[in-house]
Parts: sequence; C-alpha cells; structure tokens
Amino acid sequence: MQATALFHLLGILTWQLLVMTSFFSEYWSDLSQLFSNSQQRLYFGYLLCAAIIAFIWLNNTGQNLKHSLIQATGFKHWFSQSALADYKLILINKIIFLLMLPLLVTKLAIATAMFELMHQSFSQRSSIDNDLPVWLIISAFTLFVFLLDDFARFYLHKLMHQIPWLWEFHKTHHSATSMTPLTVLRTHPIEGIIFSLRSALVQGFSIALFIYFFAGKVDLYTVLQVNVLVFAFNVAGANLRHSHVAIYYWRWLETIIISPAQHQIHHSTQPRHYNKNYGAILAIWDKISSSHCYSEPEHKLQFGLNRMQASSEHNLYALYLAAFINIFADCKRFIRQLSQ
Amino acid sequence: MKLNKLTSAMAIASLATLASFSTQTISAPIYADFPVTVKDYQGDKKTSVSYGGQIARHVLHNSLKKLAGQGNGAENPELLAKMQSYFANKDANRAILDPVSKEGFTISETDIDQLSKGKNLAGKAYEGAVNGWPGNMTAAEVLAFMVEKASAADAGFDFNNGMDYPQLISKFTMGAVFYNQAVDSYLDEKLAADVKPNDQPYKKGAAYTGKEHVWDEAFGYFGTPANTLNLDAATAHAIAKGKKEALTAADSNANGKIDLATEMTYAHAYYAASTDKGGKTNYLQTITKAFIDGRQLITDANGEKLSDAQRSQLLGHADIIKTNWELVIAEATFKYAGSVYSDALKLQAGIENNEDVKALFKKYIHHWGELKGFSMSLQTSGKDLGGVAVSLNRLIGYSPVLLGNTQVTGIDAKGNYQQSSSVDLNEFALQMLKVQQLLADNFALKARGKDQLANLSALAAKLGSGKNTEND
Repeated sequence: MQATALFHLLGILTWQLLVMTSFFSEYWSDLSQLFSNSQQRLYFGYLLCAAIIAFIWLNNTGQNLKHSLIQATGFKHWFSQSALADYKLILINKIIFLLMLPLLVTKLAIATAMFELMHQSFSQRSSIDNDLPVWLIISAFTLFVFLLDDFARFYLHKLMHQIPWLWEFHKTHHSATSMTPLTVLRTHPIEGIIFSLRSALVQGFSIALFIYFFAGKVDLYTVLQVNVLVFAFNVAGANLRHSHVAIYYWRWLETIIISPAQHQIHHSTQPRHYNKNYGAILAIWDKISSSHCYSEPEHKLQFGLNRMQASSEHNLYALYLAAFINIFADCKRFIRQLSQ
Repeated sequence: MKLNKLTSAMAIASLATLASFSTQTISAPIYADFPVTVKDYQGDKKTSVSYGGQIARHVLHNSLKKLAGQGNGAENPELLAKMQSYFANKDANRAILDPVSKEGFTISETDIDQLSKGKNLAGKAYEGAVNGWPGNMTAAEVLAFMVEKASAADAGFDFNNGMDYPQLISKFTMGAVFYNQAVDSYLDEKLAADVKPNDQPYKKGAAYTGKEHVWDEAFGYFGTPANTLNLDAATAHAIAKGKKEALTAADSNANGKIDLATEMTYAHAYYAASTDKGGKTNYLQTITKAFIDGRQLITDANGEKLSDAQRSQLLGHADIIKTNWELVIAEATFKYAGSVYSDALKLQAGIENNEDVKALFKKYIHHWGELKGFSMSLQTSGKDLGGVAVSLNRLIGYSPVLLGNTQVTGIDAKGNYQQSSSVDLNEFALQMLKVQQLLADNFALKARGKDQLANLSALAAKLGSGKNTEND
C-alpha cells in the first residue's frame, strides 16, 4: 500500500519535473532568441550596427577615440538602477508571456476570420485572376504592412499617453532614467499584451486583405526573414533610440523619420517635451497630429517621468503593481464623485 | 576449351545467383501465396488467400459508374434494369463494362463471373441512416434512389438540381460498401476472439481459416494490387487509368495482361495513390504494409487459435489500416471542398460579367458530387463523428447552391427533390472554406490538396513569430 503511494508520488514528481524542464528550456530559448533572432530588435547584428554608428558619430563630433568607444557601448549605464530594473522586467515578463501566449489571439486566427468575413462583404474574388505583375503585388504588400504597422504603433502609443488608465501601465516604460537598447522591453505586461494584440490585428488584417484579392501571388520582401523596410530601420541604428547617444538628422529628414534624438525627447523630463514624438519609425504621423518635435542637439536631456522622480520607481512594486493600485484608486474616486 | 566453357558456365551461374539474390532483396512482400494452414485440409488449394468476391464488387462498382453516365435525359426503364442488375441483382453472365481492354492494355477478364459469382453491391451497404442525404434512408436505399435518378439523367447530370450521379453513386458506394464492410465489420467485430476463430476453417471444407479469410476480405475491399509494395504511387494510379506504360510494372505474373483479381487498383486504393503522388503522404504503402504484416501474423499462427498477444498485435495492424483509410477519405473531401470553393467564386464572377457559365456550372456540379460522395463516405465507418458530421452535412448541403440561390432541402413523397431559397454563391464558397477548416481541425491531414487557407498561414509565418512586445 505504502509502496504504491510512493510509486504514485514518484510518478507525479517525475511528471512535474518534466513539465518544469520543458518550461525552462523554452524560457531560455525565448530569452536567447531576443539576441539571436533577426526578427527581434535586440538581434546582436542590429546592436553591433548601432554601436558602430554611435562610435562614428561620437568620433566625428570631436570626442577622442577612447571616449567615443566607451560612450558608444553605453557601458556606464549597464548597471544603473534603471537598467537593473529593465533586466528584472525582461526576465519576469518572459515567464508571464510564456504562460499567457496560448491564450492570446493569433494573427492567423484574425486573418482567417477576416478572410471569411470578406467573402460576405465583397461581391467576388474575381481579381485573383488579374494581370498585375507579381513584383508590384509583393511591393505593395511589403509597403502596406510597414505603413499600417507603423501607424498603428504611433496611434496606440498616443493612446497610451492620453488615456489615463493606459498611461498608468505605460509609466513603467517611461520611468527609465537611463536608457540602453534593452529599455525597449521595459514594459508592463498588460501593455505587452495590448501591443501583441495590436500586432496580430494589423498583420491579420493585412494578410486577409491581400490574400483575398491576390491569393498565392502575395509575398513579403524580406532580408534575414524581416520586412526589408523594418530591416533597414534596424540596421540604421534603431537601438540608439533608447540610449544616451543623441544622433539627430537633417530637419527635412526628421520630418519624415524619427531620429534617435527625437525619440529621446519623447523620454525627456522637460514639460515642453511631454506628449511629443509618439512615432516608431515615421515622423509623418506626429507631423499630422501636431505632436512632432525636432531634435534639440544643444540641450542635454534628462530621462524619466519627471525631474524629481523617486528612485523607488524602479522597484518591482512600482513597475508591476502601482498601475493597478492607481487605477483602482481612480475608479473609487470617480464613483465617489458620481454618488455625491 | 573446356576450361572456357566452365568459366563461362560459372560466370553465368554466379550472375544468375546474383540476379536472383538482388531481385529477392529489392522486392517487397506481396499479398499472395500465403500457405494453407487449416488443420486436416482435404482439398487441393495451394494458397489460403481468397478475396474474389470483393474484387467482383469493385468491378460491379466500376461498371455501375459507367452505366450511370449513359442516361439520355428521359425515363429509361431499360437502362434502369441494367443498372439494377449490377447494383442489386446477382445475375449470371454480367459483362465487365469497366475496366475493359484497350490498345496496349489487355484485361484478362471480361465477365464478372470469372471473378466471383452471385455478388451484388446493395446487399453489403451500410445499414445505418444516412444523415447526409434527405429522406432518412439506409445507404442501400440512398444508392437505389440515386440509381433510379441516374437512369433518367442527362449523361449522368441533373442540372436543375445540381447532381452528377456517376460521381455521387461511385464515391458513396466506395464508402457505404467497401469502407464500411472493411472497417466496420471485418476489421472490427470479426476480429473478436470468438468470431471466425483461426483454428477453424472459415466454412466447412474451405482452404482458409476464419481469421485468414476475414483479413483477406478487408484487404480485397481496399482494392490495391497484390504487389503494391513494389509499385510507386504514380504507377498504382496509372494502372487504374489504364495507362500503357504502367502495364509492365502492374503485370506481376508477366502474362502480358492485367488480372483484375490481383493486378488492378480500385476505389480508395486509387485515391490513396492519387494523394500520395503529391509526395507528402504514404497512405497506400502504409495501409498495404499493415495488411501484409497482419496476414503474415495470422499465417504464422499456423492454424491455431490466436493468442491474446497475437490478437492485440493484429488489432494494432487493423488500427493503422482504419486510421489511414479514414485519412484517405478525409483528404479527398478536403481537396474537393477546395475545388468547389474556386468553382463557386468563378461561377459568381462569370454570372456578374454576363459570361456563358454552362461549362463552369457543370464542373462545379461535378466537383460537388465528388465532395458530397466522399463526405458521406466518411460517415460510414460505424464510428460516430458527432458534431463534425452534422457540420459537414450542413455546410455541404443536399445539393450545391444553384444559380437562383436555391438548394435542395428535401425529397417529397414521390421522390422529387424540393428546393428552397438559400445563400448566394459567395456565401457557399465561404462554407467550403469552413469545410476545409473543420476537416483540418478534426483529422490529421497532411496532403491538404487545394488548401484555400494555406496562403494565409504561409504569409502569417513569414511575418514572424508574433512574440513581439517591443515598446517605443
């Protein structure tokens, strides 16, 4: 009797061990993918490009070789309280996401649903047999996905700042007082979920739309398995957006594309910089919605929520729980006002 | 001189040995020549393999399909009687109407009786209710209904109701008779320990034991050549098409002719080959190998009752056969849903552009007939498919959506179709997408011919992993 019980217990333990092992192997593989997968912003190749660009930039602005090299790596920021908070968030968020991922709606599910819906909304798929050249269809799809994705990023980002309860979650990202490329993943998990839904919606819609009208002719121009336009953005030093190297462009270019310095303005504690430059890659959306701000090379920026930011903002409580507490308090206040 | 002769003799001998050795090593086992193991057998048979009755039914089915396309659009009692002869009667001297000899491809038999006497199809059809067809009928009744309609159809077609009878009759017979008999009877209850035991002849005086013959009958219904394991899918497929270039490979006894009992591909074996030709699946060889392995196991029992261990191993082979056979039917259903999808959209476009859609409409009905027949067959295994079957039948309907956006919804007391208004062609195309999704979700399909959703998943994969939570 005891032997059987022991046997069962052993069985359960082995099973649990197996589950845990597979979970952790997936966890580590996901973490390493952050740097080894060219579809990720932090791919080592892009980081290298960013470092080289930063070095050339700093060296050209008159700094000596050694100083340029040290600054280009951003070494002094790696162990700041803010960066350590970034790392903690990345490690914990990955666990949360591994558990949540099966519950999230996929772009394929959205694409399929939209594709089916289109059969009811459009009269026919006769355009499948059109004579448009394939290169034109592929170019159109590549550009369409890029534009729609960039616009959706801009718009959602703007909402994250303007809608109070969304801002509570987005504050986690803005409480970074020193920035490294990894700050791109300093995100509240709720925001992470919202972002992944946005991505699924945009991509699912684009896929459904183009497959509906062009079927098998649709494809994506890619380099290293990434949309060629996104690849160009990443190679051109996208990682410097979250850094202390304030690379700026000509004014005309900053009207079209957000420079690293412009994104750093978005993180600035100066009140006049608040709610500026929401854009991810393109600056035109900000230009249209009057939230555009050119870089200010003459000003040294300070990053964070505000100039008096407490160091407790880097605590796990502030990063994860404060948003919920604040939203709850706001709701209570709102209900109290209503009842008075 | 002598030495010369000796050396050449030795060379020839060793070459011959080598040749025979190499043919032995490259040739896979065939489903034939298993010895007689019945204890105290008195007859003169050298082998216990026998499935002539099943082959006779395959040939009845092929011939019936041929007849189903011979109507002239009016009542035709003569044609109906002829069809009945192949479907329900057991008449002597029925001629084989298909497969028949053609130039460079000679068939050994010309008469059904040369294969087996007194066989019919109606007596072996699935006895449960056929939910995919209106009228709450058994499979034999549905087929009899279709046979009657076919006899009055226009070369097999009823354009008013969207029916292609040769397709409907053929595809449903394959399921309701061959598939049902094999997987719901022979590979199911007849493998039980106390049914047709292996230590008794199947019937008094037979050269085969109970289990040997049960297994042979199931194999016969699958309809594949005895030497399938030595054929590739394309050849097995070409044999059924009567292609000259397949003759040599198919003619395993090298008599220059195709022997219908052992050298022809029929029914679902043909569809397995057709699917396998695409290179993504290996249904034909997998099923045939399981049949041969099972038959070897029974033969090895040497006329003794199968032990529990032997029987459970045999059930394992039966499971492989059943699972893969079902997949063959599901793959075909999936593929034709894809065809009907494209046809419906093209038809809609053609109508909107005021084109002549007659040919397109015929193709659409043809594909729907195949789809309907296969989807009904999928439900004849005796296994309850539950909600999947309900959805399948509703989405596919009792007829395709016709040009006035109507569909057959029932049969009246006189056996006439009743139509009601239904969805439009676009919506019907969408239903075909849902059929494909339903099948993909519920069966482990690999070939997925004419997959209308494949473009979506390919492009979604290309757009990346989706774990993207980057923030700006």
